[in-house]
Amino acid sequence: MISLPSYLFISFLLFVAGMFVMIARKNIVAILLGIELILNSAALNFVAYTKFVNNNLDGHIMSLFIIVIAAAEAAVGLAIVIRFYQLRESVHIDDATQLQS
Amino acid sequence: MVESYISSLSAYVPELLACLVMVGLVILEATYSKIEDGKRGLFNLFSLLGLLAVAIVLLLQKSNSATTIFTGSMTIDLLASMAKLVMVIGTIGAFYLSWGSKDIADEQKGEFSILAVGVLIGGMILASANNMLMFYIGIETLSILSYAMASFKKNDDRSAEAGLKYALYGGISAGLMLFGMSHIFGVLGTIQFSEIAMKVTELQTQQLVILIPAFLFFFVGIGYKIACVPFHMWSPDVYEGSPLPVTAFFSIVPKVAGIAALLRVTQLFFAHESVLSHSWMATISVMAALTMTVGNVSAIGQRSMKRMLAYSSIGHSGVLMLCALVPGVEGQTAFLFYTFVYLFMTLLAFFMISAMNDTYGNDYFERFNGFAFRYPMMAILLTVVMLSLAGIPPLGGFVAKFRVLSIIIEKKFFTLAIITGINSVISLYYYLKVVRLMVFKPTETMEEIKTLSYVNQLIYFIIAIPVVWLGINWASVNGLLGVVSQSHH
Repeated sequence: MISLPSYLFISFLLFVAGMFVMIARKNIVAILLGIELILNSAALNFVAYTKFVNNNLDGHIMSLFIIVIAAAEAAVGLAIVIRFYQLRESVHIDDATQLQS
Repeated sequence: MVESYISSLSAYVPELLACLVMVGLVILEATYSKIEDGKRGLFNLFSLLGLLAVAIVLLLQKSNSATTIFTGSMTIDLLASMAKLVMVIGTIGAFYLSWGSKDIADEQKGEFSILAVGVLIGGMILASANNMLMFYIGIETLSILSYAMASFKKNDDRSAEAGLKYALYGGISAGLMLFGMSHIFGVLGTIQFSEIAMKVTELQTQQLVILIPAFLFFFVGIGYKIACVPFHMWSPDVYEGSPLPVTAFFSIVPKVAGIAALLRVTQLFFAHESVLSHSWMATISVMAALTMTVGNVSAIGQRSMKRMLAYSSIGHSGVLMLCALVPGVEGQTAFLFYTFVYLFMTLLAFFMISAMNDTYGNDYFERFNGFAFRYPMMAILLTVVMLSLAGIPPLGGFVAKFRVLSIIIEKKFFTLAIITGINSVISLYYYLKVVRLMVFKPTETMEEIKTLSYVNQLIYFIIAIPVVWLGINWASVNGLLGVVSQSHH
């Protein structure tokens, strides 16, 4: 039987990995992946807490919604990245500097 | 169960109506896309009438008592209804701006209306969210559609960059907010705001160790939506890169929705004294002071009016955040009054900038050189708006700021009041810069500005009326906002 702290530890690792990817990587697609990691760590937390702490369905529903909304967000995000790539021919975050005064 | 569901639906009519408007717009756009003549007229009329109907329903629904609907997942109270009303009027204004604007291509204007109504629905959900799920759905409906709206100019790489920055910052802050929410859920065992509010009054130390960072993460999500200072980095860039009607829309709808949500959360969770509420209030007051100062100081050096207004709206959201420090009716009333005035001031400022942008292709300050000699009436209106934004009596902006200041001084936040005053003075510098250019600089050209036709001038005039009226006769809206304060005392 896996205990609650193990779940929390894994989700914390996912969170830290996501933060690290977002800060360290310069590729925009990689940053989107980092965001997904963070969202998934939150979803894992919700499911784990539901299993061990309270037994109603709130946490499960919450994590289902997180999955759906994360998919929508990734779709729009990737569409914008493609548009950016077509115009600037790069997916490097340092190329997005036109709007600084 | 069924009965409670149906009675919930009756309180949910404004959102349903907005959804219907969105569906109707999609159908109209799809049906009429081949026919050029008469299409825009019908489409615009439908969107206008639909949103007016939403506004009327909101006014009819306005009641002083709070009702929770859908098994406690949403609250309909005065704060929610009035914030929604402000958002609907803001959307109507952005629609009107988009019809005449050259910043959005003609074939995209339909899409703009559809997406704007979508964002409006998200804002309405957020303003009345009463559990974490609805909160998250509201904030994401608001955000995801906004990303698409920010990158609206198809072949403009600045617009694509604006959308990209919005999407990345938005995704990160949504992730942080959810991570915080998941730990709040874990420690307190519920996602309902009302149950959380009961449980935060009695906490052990171990729980606090997790809850304080968790609430801080939760704050990130709201802070990002209202562009308060550590999370404001996206805001000027997005405002500058987006087409002008979208910028006008962004500076009203997401902001009002976000601050309404902040007010609700603070009011529910932190009305009672505890370690948690102290740290939350301390966070809000520090962030509000920073937001005001950074927003106003950064606005000074700007060359583009749009970017200047972006920073000034950051400053205004700092003042609005102060309302959250005073939970209860006073804070709500001050917030609603401020948003009402802010709505009209911002809309009018954006209408003027849009006229310049359409004529000259940019919105630098110099475009307003000698404006007072070409369009004296419009110059007077713009002066009124700028003075009102800075908070000069006897205009609406002054009364709005005064109300906020008076409630926070009553709660003994003297430092914050002084900071707000200093910021008002700083903001006077860059607002009056426009006035100075209009009056004292010689004009470059006497060319006619097509957007400033007589019809448009009349409409701008009507929009300016509330800015002046609310400054002189501010007690007149107490009926709209203040009846509730009597019933509570």
